Amino acid sequence: MGDFASNLSLGFGVALSLQNLGLAFLGCLVGSLIGVLPGVGPIATIAMLLPITFGLDPIGALIMLAGIYYGAQYGGSTTAILVNIPGEATSVVTALDGHQMARQGRAGIALGIAAIGSFFAGTVATLVIAALGAPLTGLALIFGPTEYFSLMTMGLVFAVVLARGSILKAIAMILVGVLLSTVGTDLETGEERMTFGLPFLVDGIDFAVLAMGVFGIAEILRNLDHTETRDVVRQAIGRLLPNRDDFRHSYKPVLRGTFIGAALGILPGNGAVLGPFAAYTLEKKLAKDPRRFGQGAIEGVAGPESANNAGAQTSFIPLLTLGIPPNAVMALMVGAMTIHGIVPGPQVMTRNPDLFWGMIASMWIGNLMLLVINLPLVGMWVRLLKVPYRLMFPAILMFCCIGIYSINSLPTDVMFIAFFGLVGYMLIKFGFEPAPMLLGFVLGKLMEENLRRALILSRGDMMTFIEHPISAVLLAIAAILLIVALLPSIRKGRDEVFTE
Amino acid sequence: MKKIALALAAVAGIAATGAQAQQNYPNRPITMIVPFAAGGPTDVVARIVTDHMSRTLGQQIVIENVAGAGGTTGITRAAQSQPDGYTIMMGHMGTHGAAPALYPNLKYDPTKDFAPIGMAAGTPILIVAKKDLPASDLKGFIEYVKTNADKVNQAHAGVGSVSHTTGVLFDSIVGTKPTMVAYRGTGPALNDLMAGTVDFMTDQIVNVAPQIQGGNIKAYAIATPERSPALPNVPTTKEAGLGDYQVSAWNAVFAPKGTPNDVVAKLNDALVKALADENTKKRLLDLGGVIPSAEEQSPEGLQKLVDSEVARWTPVLQAAGAKAE
Amino acid sequence: MSVPHERPGDPGRRGPIRAPQSLGGGIFLVFLAILALWLNRNLDQGTLNAMGPAMLPDWLAVGVGACGVALLAFAFTKQGDELDHWSLRGPFFVVLGILAFAVTIRPFELGALTIPGLGLVIAGPLAIIIGGFATPEMRLRELIILALCLTPFCMVLFGDLLNLPIPIFPQALRDLFPADWSQKDILRAMAAAMVVGAIVVYALGPKKRTQQVDRVVQPDEGIDG
Repeated sequence: MGDFASNLSLGFGVALSLQNLGLAFLGCLVGSLIGVLPGVGPIATIAMLLPITFGLDPIGALIMLAGIYYGAQYGGSTTAILVNIPGEATSVVTALDGHQMARQGRAGIALGIAAIGSFFAGTVATLVIAALGAPLTGLALIFGPTEYFSLMTMGLVFAVVLARGSILKAIAMILVGVLLSTVGTDLETGEERMTFGLPFLVDGIDFAVLAMGVFGIAEILRNLDHTETRDVVRQAIGRLLPNRDDFRHSYKPVLRGTFIGAALGILPGNGAVLGPFAAYTLEKKLAKDPRRFGQGAIEGVAGPESANNAGAQTSFIPLLTLGIPPNAVMALMVGAMTIHGIVPGPQVMTRNPDLFWGMIASMWIGNLMLLVINLPLVGMWVRLLKVPYRLMFPAILMFCCIGIYSINSLPTDVMFIAFFGLVGYMLIKFGFEPAPMLLGFVLGKLMEENLRRALILSRGDMMTFIEHPISAVLLAIAAILLIVALLPSIRKGRDEVFTE
Repeated sequence: MKKIALALAAVAGIAATGAQAQQNYPNRPITMIVPFAAGGPTDVVARIVTDHMSRTLGQQIVIENVAGAGGTTGITRAAQSQPDGYTIMMGHMGTHGAAPALYPNLKYDPTKDFAPIGMAAGTPILIVAKKDLPASDLKGFIEYVKTNADKVNQAHAGVGSVSHTTGVLFDSIVGTKPTMVAYRGTGPALNDLMAGTVDFMTDQIVNVAPQIQGGNIKAYAIATPERSPALPNVPTTKEAGLGDYQVSAWNAVFAPKGTPNDVVAKLNDALVKALADENTKKRLLDLGGVIPSAEEQSPEGLQKLVDSEVARWTPVLQAAGAKAE
Repeated sequence: MSVPHERPGDPGRRGPIRAPQSLGGGIFLVFLAILALWLNRNLDQGTLNAMGPAMLPDWLAVGVGACGVALLAFAFTKQGDELDHWSLRGPFFVVLGILAFAVTIRPFELGALTIPGLGLVIAGPLAIIIGGFATPEMRLRELIILALCLTPFCMVLFGDLLNLPIPIFPQALRDLFPADWSQKDILRAMAAAMVVGAIVVYALGPKKRTQQVDRVVQPDEGIDG
C-alpha cells in the first residue's frame, strides 16, 4: 500500500508539471475536435496527430498522445450520439440509444452522461491500473486461442440480446457480419476469399468503411425518405445537462459498466471491444422495461460509455506491463513510444518509473480534462443540430469522404462507403438492423482466427473447448444467455419472434 | 462545363510542369509513401530518417501511409506515380524481396521498376522460443524440433509477414516442417509464445528484445554476422552452428523508375547525411537496428541487394507455398 | 427507427404474399448465401485439424441461407410489414456525390477514363453540391455558399494545420502563382479566395433571400415543395 501511494505521488509529481498539464489539456482538446469529425475514429485521429508530438520530450509526448486518445474516443461518442456515425466498434452501442436521445431533444443529456460516466470509469480504471496493473498481467497469459474463441462466441450471443426486433433477423444479420469479416486474404493459407479478384478487397473490409456505410450513409438515405423525422431535432432542445433524475437512472449502469469494461480491457486479445456490448446487454436484461432500449434509454448510454472508457484505460495494462498491444490503437501507441525511443515491455516499469507512473497519473488528469473541455462544449454541439437537414447532410457527406480518405489514402475506400450505404439502406427497408451485423463483423475475424488456431493446436480435437475450464465456463454462460434471450419470444409465440 | 475546362487545363499543366521541375528540386514538400500503417516498424524507421532528410533538402517530407496486401498496395501506387522526385517510398524486405513469390499478380518488378536511393536500416532477426523449452542452445533446439516435428508449433504474424518469410527460410534450411500457427501481427503471437501456447518463432529484434531481456522468452541465436549490442549474450547463428541462416528485415528508400539522376543523387545525399547524424543513428540503434554500410547506403548497393533478395526468396517461398496447399 | 405505419384502411393483402418485407429480406439473404458459396467454390474446406479457407465461410453461408429460407416461409404464412416506399433521388445523388469525391481527390484511371488529381479544392465542393441535390428542398445558392465555406475550412484544418498528405489542389495550378510561394501559401490564398467567393455569392442574392424569408413565415408548409 505504501508503494501504491508513493508510486502515485511520483506519477502526479511528473504529470502535474505546468508543461505536462498543458500538454494533457491540448491533447484532449485537439483529440476531441478532430475525433468529432464523422468518420475519423481514434486510430485515424492518433495517426493524424502523431507528428505534432515529435518535438516534445518522451514523457510529454506520451501524455499528450494519451490525451489525444481519450479526446478522440469521446469525440467519437459525440458523433455517434449526434449524427449516428460510430467512429469505432465500441461506439456502435452508444449510437443505438444515444442518437435516439438526440432525436428526442435530449442530446445534451446523452453527451453529459457520457462525459460524466466516462470520467468516473476513467478514475476507477486508473486506480485499478496503479494498484493491480502488475499482478493482473498474469491474466493475459491464461487466455489462449481456445478461451478467446469461447469469449467471442459469448460476445455474439450478446448481439442477439442487443437486437430489438425479430430474433431471426438478428441472427441472420450476425451471420452476415461474420461472413463479411471473412472477406479478404485468409490468415493461415494466404488465399484470397470472396474478393472478386479486386485488389482493394485483399485485406478485407475496413471496419470504418462498413460502419460509416451502413450507419452514416444509410442513415442519411433513410432520413431523406422520412421528411417528418428528417431534422434531427425538430422539437425544442431540452435541458443541456443531466439532472438528478437522470443521475438516479444512470449511476448503477455506470458502476456496472465500469466493472465490466475494466475487466474485459485487461485481456490482450482486444477484449475491450466486448465491454460496451456486454454492458448494454446487462442493462437491457436488468431493466424493468427492456423495450425502452433502442428508444433513447439513458442506461443504454451510461453503461456502455463507462465500459468503453474503463476498457480504453485498462487496455493500457497489457501494453505497459507486457509490451503487447491488445488492439490497433495500442499498436499505434507502441509506434509512438518507439519513435520517442521507449520500447514498451516488462522493463518500462522499472527502467523508466517516472514515465510509467507519470503516464498513469496523466490518464486520470486526461479524464478530468475531458470533463472540463466537453461539458461546456455540449451546448455548442447541440446547437449544431439546429442546422437545417438540407445543409447538414451534404456537410456530413463531405466529412465522411475526407475522414475515410485520410485513413488509407484510398479512393476505393470512399467508393465503398457509398456501396455499403446502399446496402444499409436496403437492409433498413427489409427490416434488418445494422448493429448486430457490425458486432458480428468485429467479433467474426477474432472468432475465426482463434477457432482455427485452437483447432490447429489441439490437432483438430473439438473437446479442447470443454477441456479448458475458462473456455467451458464462457461457453456455458453463452448457452444460458442465449436460452434466456430466446425463451420469452418462444413463450409468447412466433408472432413475437417475427415482428417487433 | 467550367469544371471540365478546368480539368483539361490541369492535364495540360501537369505535362508542362514535369520538364522544369528538377532544376530547383525540391521546391515543394516531398511525399514518402510508407506501405504500412502508422506506428509499425517500417513507419517508425521512415519517420526517424525523413526527420533529418527534410532538414538537408530544405523541404518537408510528408509521410503517407498506404497500407494493404503486405505493403504491395502502397508500393504499386508509388511505382506508378510521377518520377519527379516528389513521390518516394520506404520499401522493405517483403515489398522488394519476397513479394514476387507471394503475389503472383504483382504489378511491379522490384528489380526493374525503381530508382533505388539507398538502404535506411537493417533489423536483425532472432530465433526465439518459449522459456521452458528443454533445449539450451541452437543445436539442441534444432535437434528438438526435428525429433518432435509433429508436436512443435511455430508462430508467425500472417502469410507474407517478416516472421513468416524468415520462419519459412529457417524451416527450409534446417529441413523441418513444424505446424505453422498464424496470428494477426507480432503482438498476439508473442503473447502466446510467452504463455507457452506455441513453441517458437523468428522475428525482428525490435519486437522481441524487451521480452528476452525480461526473461519471458528465450533467444537461441541472432541471424547477423555480429552480435547485437542490445543483446550481447545472444550468439550469432554462425557461432551457434547455423551459419547459412543470415537474414535481416531491411528498410530502404526508393523512387519510381525514371526519376532524374540528379534528383536521385540529392535524395541519396540527404539519406547518407541523415544516417551519419549522431542523433538519428542513436534513435535507430535504440530500436535494435543496424546502420547500413556505406555500400548499402548507395543506390548501386541497394540495387544489388534487391536483386539478391528476390533471387533468394522466390525459390524458398514457392517451395513452402507448394507445401501450404 | 422507421415506424411501421398502421394503416387502418388497409384492406388485407391480396395474393399469397402476406409479408412483403420478409419476402424481400429472405430473397436478399438467399442471394447472399448463394453468392458466397459460389465465390468459394474453388477454395478448400479442409479438415478440423487444418481448416481450409472455405470451411467457415461455407458454414456461415449455409446459415445465412437457412435464415433466408425461414424468412421466405414466414412471408407466406405470417402477416407482416409492408415494404416501405423506395426513393431513387436520395440514393442516386448521395452515391453520385461520394463517387465524384472519390474520383477527383487524386488521379484516377478506369479503362480509357483518366481524371487528373484535382484535390480537395474540387472534390469537396463536388461532394457537397451533388450530394445536396438528394433532397428536393435543396437550394443551389445555399449549397454553393456551404461548399465555399466548408472546403476552405477543411483545407486549412487538414492540409495546413494537421499536415495530412491529402491532395489539396491540382499541381498544375501551381504555375498560376508566383514561383517563390510555398505550397501552404497557395493553399491559404485559395482558401481565402473561396471564403471571399462565399461572401460574394451571399451578397449577390438579396432578392432570393427575401423569398426565403417568405417561405419561413409559412411554417411546416410545402416541406416537400
